[in-house]
Amino acid sequence: MPKQEIDAAELYDLSLSIVGLVLSDGDQKIEDLANRFSVSEKVILKAVRAITDSEDLTKCVTHFHLNFDELEDGWVSFARGGTNLEGPPLLSNRQLSSIAIGLDYLASLPQFASNKALSDLRKILKNSGPVPVTAVAASRLGEMLQLIQAAISNQRAINCEYRNQKGEQSNRLIDPLLIELRGRKHYLRGWCHINEEVRSFRLDRIHSVEQTEEPISKEARAAAIPDDVYGSRLDEQVVTLAAQPEATEVFWNFPVALEPTLEKGRWVGRIRVGSLEGLPRHIVRYGGMVEVLEPKKARAMVASFAKEILSDTEPKDEE
Amino acid sequence: MANQTPAERLFTLTCCLLAAPRIGLSKQDIFSSVPGYSEASNDDARDKMFERDKSELRNAGVQLEVVQIDEFEPEVGSRYLIAKGSFEWPADFKLSAEQLGLAELAARAWNNQQFASSARTALARLKSRGMVEVNRELSFLSPRLLARHSAFQPLAQAITESKTVIFEYRIPDGQAEAREVNPLKLRLIEGEWVLLADRQGELRNYLLRRITSKVRETGANFAFKRTDLVEKAEQDLVSHTQANQAVIEVAEDSEAWWHFGASSTEVVLNFMDESLLAEDLLEYGNEIKVISPESLRRRVHTGLERVVSLHA
Repeated sequence: MPKQEIDAAELYDLSLSIVGLVLSDGDQKIEDLANRFSVSEKVILKAVRAITDSEDLTKCVTHFHLNFDELEDGWVSFARGGTNLEGPPLLSNRQLSSIAIGLDYLASLPQFASNKALSDLRKILKNSGPVPVTAVAASRLGEMLQLIQAAISNQRAINCEYRNQKGEQSNRLIDPLLIELRGRKHYLRGWCHINEEVRSFRLDRIHSVEQTEEPISKEARAAAIPDDVYGSRLDEQVVTLAAQPEATEVFWNFPVALEPTLEKGRWVGRIRVGSLEGLPRHIVRYGGMVEVLEPKKARAMVASFAKEILSDTEPKDEE
Repeated sequence: MANQTPAERLFTLTCCLLAAPRIGLSKQDIFSSVPGYSEASNDDARDKMFERDKSELRNAGVQLEVVQIDEFEPEVGSRYLIAKGSFEWPADFKLSAEQLGLAELAARAWNNQQFASSARTALARLKSRGMVEVNRELSFLSPRLLARHSAFQPLAQAITESKTVIFEYRIPDGQAEAREVNPLKLRLIEGEWVLLADRQGELRNYLLRRITSKVRETGANFAFKRTDLVEKAEQDLVSHTQANQAVIEVAEDSEAWWHFGASSTEVVLNFMDESLLAEDLLEYGNEIKVISPESLRRRVHTGLERVVSLHA
């Protein structure tokens, strides 16, 4: 997690956690605390000050006694004074929900489907209820995830077949960097040797994965992974969509060119797409809850995509 | 001494309240013990400061109790203390390195969205329970939750504060209707956000994407103690999903084949909601064909007809 500055409520919470750790495990290096709690050393010092400056003016007692010499040497060392505080309180409802929902989410991913540590943890945090059943039988995905994860930790390139959204198949050499799950889709973020940049690959479009002996490239090591899974392309086009409230998520699946606004009960906005060929399936998916308004060419493509499926599924006359 | 920051004031307040006698501390006791309060410019500002701090403590999960000594003068007669048990973790509470790694992954999945700060502080508390090295093998994975529904934040807030809410809800093929519910839990099931709520004594599930209006608080508060019913409702949803089965035919070696992890052309799927499954199937066009149930086949067909007429 990136180190970040935090607000008063978080700082207070951090102070309580530091009390817990120092009292149970003894003196701690400032640097280690910063790493452990994913904050800067400056934030750790602020939290320590909240602990060691605390006093009760009526009773004239100091709550914790700080060892200043140790602090100068980069260590947090304090002893309990006139307080019975031993550490943080139990998790709040909101904290519990945040972790529980995160764990629910992990449990629904194929690579954690039978993870014992996870199911035990969910029980410990009293987030009862078994793992929700996933609609997609993802055993193949699970195996592939493990293969790719192994390649990521060994820092080796992978060789695979990739089918892009136009259905074109190609052989790729990729330096795998990260696996990401967005919505219901897994993506591999990696350095593509063909395009010489970080690209996103949908995992259900990858097959025949092999780890190579090739260590990942210098470029891949130095590459920053953009937050966005969508690359920018020179040939991209802008498409205007109108979506019923139930299908607003269509705007979350593409880079947005114009934020959607509510017009006569539908959300109207603009998205950017790499190619129009890949668009129809994303629109057809919503069974009429999303309409392409512009360009006309895209409207026609959506209509013909749907018509083609219909003609395939119409019952044929028996010979 | 320099002025106390809000975090320092909250910390001192916590220590003072924990050391309070069994009858608690009066507001006056607190004001004279915690240095931060003497820095307020006037009584009114001090009271506001204290009100804010009380709610911060409660948000942090500190159970603050108010004892009324004199019912006729609640302002003067209120005394405050921290409920016993608020800081008492079960003696055997200890997480393994792998579990801490998973909790970290769960927290990180929020990626600066609504619950991110609660998840971070929760994780810090878990990490403060004795030194265990976090399993770093998981750090190559970065699952990210998406909780962008506009209903999410107000519902999460209402759950935390036990407040009744009202919203418009539209079931597939139906009209939007108002629902007044006591929200209990938000869950992510099969990639969809689901609200579990108590509506007139019955527990119901609501898909967030089908909430078509703003979520408003009615002003009423509720107390829901039947956690056994929540467990039962969750179990019911799982049984419901297990009982719902669809059979589809997939074209060999197609994208759908890979996506659904097919090992033969006929694939059996479990589903929570038929119209959501229809969406997943529609995306794969003629690479798939619905065999059963008939209602799903019809739904897919009608969806396609709607797309055609909408884009005519």
